[in-house]
Amino acid sequence: MGSFIVRVAGWVQRRSENVIAALLGIMFAAFIVQIVFRYFFNLPTGWSTELSLIAWLWMVLWGTALALKEKDEIRFDILTSLAGPRARRVMAVVVAVATVTLYGLSLPGTYKYVTFMKVEKSSYLNIRLDWLYSVFVLFVVATILRYLWLLWQALRGESQGEETAGADRTP
Amino acid sequence: MSLPSPFALSLLSIIALSLLGLPVGLAMVGGSVLYLLAAGLDVGTASEQIINGMMGSFLLLAIPLFILAAAFMNAGSIMDRLVRFCNALVGRFRGGLALVNVAQSIVFASMSGSALADAAGAGKLMQSMMTREGKYTRGFAAALTAVSATIGPILPPSIPLVVYALVSDASVGYLFLAGVLPGLLIGAVQMGLIVGMAKRRNFPLEASVPLREMPRITKEAFPALLMPIILFGCLYSGITTPTEAAAVAAAYALLIAGGLYRSIGAGDIYHSLLTSARTSVSIGMLIAGAMAFNYVITVENIPHTVSAILAATDLSQVGFLMLVNVILLVLGCVLEGTTIILVILPVLLPTAAALGIDPVHFGVIAVMNIMFGLVTPPYGLLLFMMTKVADVPLREIVREVMPFLGVMFIALMLVTYIPTITLFLPRLFGYAG
Repeated sequence: MGSFIVRVAGWVQRRSENVIAALLGIMFAAFIVQIVFRYFFNLPTGWSTELSLIAWLWMVLWGTALALKEKDEIRFDILTSLAGPRARRVMAVVVAVATVTLYGLSLPGTYKYVTFMKVEKSSYLNIRLDWLYSVFVLFVVATILRYLWLLWQALRGESQGEETAGADRTP
Repeated sequence: MSLPSPFALSLLSIIALSLLGLPVGLAMVGGSVLYLLAAGLDVGTASEQIINGMMGSFLLLAIPLFILAAAFMNAGSIMDRLVRFCNALVGRFRGGLALVNVAQSIVFASMSGSALADAAGAGKLMQSMMTREGKYTRGFAAALTAVSATIGPILPPSIPLVVYALVSDASVGYLFLAGVLPGLLIGAVQMGLIVGMAKRRNFPLEASVPLREMPRITKEAFPALLMPIILFGCLYSGITTPTEAAAVAAAYALLIAGGLYRSIGAGDIYHSLLTSARTSVSIGMLIAGAMAFNYVITVENIPHTVSAILAATDLSQVGFLMLVNVILLVLGCVLEGTTIILVILPVLLPTAAALGIDPVHFGVIAVMNIMFGLVTPPYGLLLFMMTKVADVPLREIVREVMPFLGVMFIALMLVTYIPTITLFLPRLFGYAG
């Protein structure tokens, strides 16, 4: 069961890296098109601005939820690096419980806000806003699942380092 | 009142969760949710604030694009050419390689906006060049690489200054111009210190590059050296917005690395996109978290409260700036720079405005303070990074960093109390402040 989750999570994480790299590429391309159209053809392109902003929103939330590894995230490691293995386990449990609780409590409100936005569409690309904003629900759900997993790991006494090593070993 | 206020609860939870190891952006979202729950407000507001904030700040798109530009520069052979150019320029003096280290930080600063990226990329190269054959001690090389990397984000383009523009509504163009002289000043005091040390510590002499080689080396580095001129040209001619200028910088870097130097392939391009996306996501999440928490700060009217408290103490302009110096240097030792700009500066900005401090000047002072915090022992992020990158014990780095911190502190005082250093260039280009 554990190794199955690790395998699936590893696959999702690698494909999500493709996704965020592609989103940055789309943003970059949209900008170049925008500059060329306006400067050389005197054609302002509102849709390219909108596309870049959508790519940015999705990149950050999708990336945080599914693509970033522990070492990529911005965090303080003063206390965690000083703590011994036992203390670190306790800290991991506290963080995971608090995160799962807070993000869990925010889920209904988030879902309500996102689905409420179905009445509006984006200005240029005419995409329903509940579709565009659905990435936020994904972000909250993925964060809850991620920290449930970390909680499970901490309770079983496996450090996060071992988890990554396990992921590397999996064929 | 026995229960803590929702705001205190929220702030404490963010601090506690961050210290326990939750990524800061996620902690700020969590703390904001806690505030909304405790205050009995709609919890969906957190998502609304973040989504609207992200979709509404076109300026922020400059951050991933500047990061991408730097990645293209790093992937191509552009960096090597720049180092060779700097070496031809200042390598001939005693302590030459140390001077080259500072010079390449100044030159490379115009390509990248992040001190950590500078230290990890070009800095790593300089570290190995300096310690090869025991020319310099590894502690000195690592310390110098760390302190010279702080120049990058003060000179344009600068990611911290873009983030500051977001919270202060100051113009990115003027902020970039304002950073030029202070950035060069820091480079100058660092070089001055090296020259002063060179004789006493008997720094090695390098084989000097013959002058007749100069035209060839300059020609090779020329397209890369053109980058800042293109960037400023785009910004000040009004051809592009600051965000578009970042895209032009990335396109130009890709063009010279791929087209002219033929040193970058499709795999490199994907790799650059991925590493840039990773960095952008981690900074972006921090910004997203700050957007949620800034809503809390606004609802609670914190900047006004702080402003009223400081006004009651009858603080003078100089006194306030000194207080800011102290607060930011201390916070810079423990907090990540972007967090300080996003969360702490909005609280201080109304007071600065009330005291008649120019917002552009204030931004440069703030960023300088934060950068210096990165190399202030015992907990400077750049120092820690150099212990990892260069594999040198922190103790050895800290000892060598001290004299540099001394001269940089003098530079900081000059920039803080002589506004002309910062505002001369912006005013030359029509800034009314």
